[in-house]
Amino acid sequence: MTPTTQNAAPLISLRGVSKDYVTPGGSFTALNDVTLSFPRGGFIVVLGESGSGKSTLLSVLSGVDRPTRGEVQVGATAVHALAERDISAWRGRAVGIVFQFFQLLPTLTAAENVMLPMDFCDRWPSHERRSRAMALLARLGVADQADKLPSTLSGGQQQRVAIARALANEPEVLLADEPTGNLDSKTSASILELFAELSREGQTVVMVTHAEGARRYASQIVTLADGRVVAA
Amino acid sequence: MIAPRWRKVLRDLWLHKPRTALVVLAIVIGITGAGAVLDAWSLVRLVTRDGYLATNPASATLRVDSVDAALLAQVRALPMIRNAEARRTTRSAAIVNGAVVSALLFSSADVSASTVATVVHEQGSWPPADGSVVIEHSSMSFASAGMGDTLTLQLEGNAPARLRVAGVARDQGLAPGWMDHEVYVFVSPRTLAAMGGKASFNQLQIVVRDGNGASFDREVNRRAAVEVKALVERAGHTVLDVDVPIPGRHMHAAQMDSLLMIKGAFGVLMLILSGFLVVNLMAAMLTGQVREIGVMKSIGARTSQIAVMYLAVAFALGVIACVIAIPLAAFVGRWYAEFAASLLNFSVDGVPIPTRAIVLQLVVGALLPVVAAAFPVMRGCGISVGESLRDLGMSPRDAGAGGGVLRGASGVARPLLLSLRNAFRKRQRMAFTLLTLAMGGAVFLAALDLRAGIRGSVGLIYDEYNKFDLTIRFTKSHAADSIEHAAARVAGVETVEAWTGARAAVDHSDGMLEGSFALTAFNPATKLVAYPLEGGRWLSDSGANELVVSKALLLTEPSLAVGSDVSLVINGQSTKWHVVGAAVSGPSVTAYASRATLSRVLGDSLARTIVVRTKAKDGAAQSELIQRLRDSLEHDGFDVESSQLMQVNRVVVEDHLLMVAGFLLVMAQLTVVVGGLGLASTMSLSILERTREIGVLRAIGARHSSILAMVQIEGLVISVCSWLLAIPLSLPISVALGNAFGKVMFPVATSWVPVWSGVAIWFGVVILVSVVACAWPAWRATRITTAAALAYE
Repeated sequence: MTPTTQNAAPLISLRGVSKDYVTPGGSFTALNDVTLSFPRGGFIVVLGESGSGKSTLLSVLSGVDRPTRGEVQVGATAVHALAERDISAWRGRAVGIVFQFFQLLPTLTAAENVMLPMDFCDRWPSHERRSRAMALLARLGVADQADKLPSTLSGGQQQRVAIARALANEPEVLLADEPTGNLDSKTSASILELFAELSREGQTVVMVTHAEGARRYASQIVTLADGRVVAA
Repeated sequence: MIAPRWRKVLRDLWLHKPRTALVVLAIVIGITGAGAVLDAWSLVRLVTRDGYLATNPASATLRVDSVDAALLAQVRALPMIRNAEARRTTRSAAIVNGAVVSALLFSSADVSASTVATVVHEQGSWPPADGSVVIEHSSMSFASAGMGDTLTLQLEGNAPARLRVAGVARDQGLAPGWMDHEVYVFVSPRTLAAMGGKASFNQLQIVVRDGNGASFDREVNRRAAVEVKALVERAGHTVLDVDVPIPGRHMHAAQMDSLLMIKGAFGVLMLILSGFLVVNLMAAMLTGQVREIGVMKSIGARTSQIAVMYLAVAFALGVIACVIAIPLAAFVGRWYAEFAASLLNFSVDGVPIPTRAIVLQLVVGALLPVVAAAFPVMRGCGISVGESLRDLGMSPRDAGAGGGVLRGASGVARPLLLSLRNAFRKRQRMAFTLLTLAMGGAVFLAALDLRAGIRGSVGLIYDEYNKFDLTIRFTKSHAADSIEHAAARVAGVETVEAWTGARAAVDHSDGMLEGSFALTAFNPATKLVAYPLEGGRWLSDSGANELVVSKALLLTEPSLAVGSDVSLVINGQSTKWHVVGAAVSGPSVTAYASRATLSRVLGDSLARTIVVRTKAKDGAAQSELIQRLRDSLEHDGFDVESSQLMQVNRVVVEDHLLMVAGFLLVMAQLTVVVGGLGLASTMSLSILERTREIGVLRAIGARHSSILAMVQIEGLVISVCSWLLAIPLSLPISVALGNAFGKVMFPVATSWVPVWSGVAIWFGVVILVSVVACAWPAWRATRITTAAALAYE
């Protein structure tokens, strides 16, 4: 697979990004001089073994972690330069994150989980939030689960709700960290298909996984090993 | 529609009901403790200040031989006098349930028109009608008389008069009758005359003018009193003494303020300890929410938004706690205020708790958890998203904190070693828990020390200083030898002495006779007192006018320092005295002199009181002896006015003093509850954080009993540490308490050595608290399955 060229200007670009961690056992470099660019509307799959730096890459893209060196640009925003107090607000508007363990808030219903980012970012008028959440859940095929608590949903349903939540504020980028790692193969395939469909609709999706089967859904594949890009 | 984030907050609170209830309970305890003291203090202050001022208290009171209408008019005509009134106080006997007790009768010309030191009419008729009496409220229980009852009063040398109680009034300027063992009665001059008393007045109460109102400058009042005294003396009358009180302040208000301030300090302490508990509980809440905080941040929540959510929770819990605590504090505070006010002869009945006290409790109650939660909230919300999402409970950093404990120790069982290290893993939480429990212990031990100190000091007075068991006062004076011999003949009497006494006042250089005190006279070789001397020497047989003053008197009248020569006015006569010694004799404001000397000064060798030491020391035998003594003396023609058993007196004194220590013990018990809750929350939190670790222990073979023991031992380590810490902490508290109590109420011996039985009791209490507090967390720990624990993330 070759990098897509469907959009000239990349939506995401990383230039010389490195990330060092200091631990009691000494420091280690999780990302080492990574330079990448991803186009708008792509479905980018980042592959690699455990410890290759995949999750760190997502962390610096989402502003969860700051790069030790280098620059991260998402759209018009220089993420590496954002002040700490601005990062959450930016992330809430510009990025949607999907986790391996879904991370739905257990005391909120599916619909309320989807409404929560809108609430925090004040992105939509409050009277519109419920209907928007219902529309997203319907799009992801779990509208009938809207008023249930996460603990009563299956893994696949929870992940769909989590994706709906990630899309709540119409982010430019959807970041997914091993979204199928906790799902059976059939459900995993349906989730990957969903990401591909979102990508076809113009949503930029960056997914890290070590599941080789994800390759066939991707518009761009990046392979990491020991914090370095070995194929892109 | 409630926003999802607030729904989350509400559902989280509901989901963790026990923890929510614990936070509310912690705040309720803190606010109830501190609020009760605040309410009591506000009420007592209100009634002792505003209530007292409303009686238009006298600027000065002159005790004179007699006051007639002409003299009163002259006093009223003085430019600095705003008002002046005359009244008579007459000592009498009252027969209560067959026993003769002391009574004080008050009469004035037109009491209903009185504007000086007015009494508060409570029930029945007012002013006292001829042929009936109005009883002072605080005497009712002592007199066993209420509205409509008949009271028997007898003036010296007159037949008993049976008078109906037609009304009840309260005189806030008097010490309570039940406390002073005195029946206070208001009678009309005609009633007094019919009983055989004098109709003339012997007290002059003046209110000094300041513009259109009363003067609140004590020096101005003092100068006015000097002028009035001079006027009275120029008119040919004798002034026995002059009392110029601190203007606008009830005579015991300062003492009560100090007493309530001591308790207020404990209330604040309890509030702070509750705050510690809230810190731990909020930290527990946030520890359980770290991952969710990370998730919320990852979907766009700002740190400030999350902080506001949790601080709002703390605020809401504070408000809920206030709804419970404020009425509870009002109930307890009013109950205690009624008790405290009754000590000053006030009542708080019907007086509303000041709004500002309620508002203050509401503000503190609502903000305390916010302030307490601020640090854990800021810390919890400040964790980075990455760290939050990677949260596995205890971090290696925490393990390092406790890992040093017993490092390298050999021969210690591994599970025990784990418990010991676990106890020290979270240092700040450990410190708060330890401090809360230790402060509870310190207050408990200090209260026990104070109780022991009070008992010891009361014991000193009744066993060591005063070596007599009962006193008998006769209706009239007799030759000392005759009453001594008559009493000595009664079987069971070991030693008997006749004592005399008088009121004396220091004749100051400006002519003032302020602060009269009791002058008690006995044989200098008396076997019935043994007062330790603080300075100088004991009385001699030289016949010189020698005085030994009590330490309490010396504090109120510094001019009576050892070695000084003073003029004392006794029964209107000024005589020179030399202060030869100062003695410790308890709280009584008294001077002691030789009976022979006082007889010479008074020109009267008769005595009216005998003081007896009995052979038997048990109460029943002494009660039986006092009755036989009275019968025998009456049979010999010595009419008895009243008798007093020192043991009864001791119980009354001790009970009242011990109420203060009792209140502190209740405070300590509440602190123990707070400490126990703190330990329970700390252990619950520790279990929550170590879910994975416990799962691993289960996976490698730990049994239920091992997990239970591990948690219980961890709790016991903290509890025993708190016990050890409480001992040194209690010492300065108990010394400070003893000193404060001594200044306010009664001198008590303070010691830097704790009551060891209390230390042992406290050890038992902390062990029990630990076992109970850890029972639930330990049980929870045994419920953790390996699979669930390892899937905890």
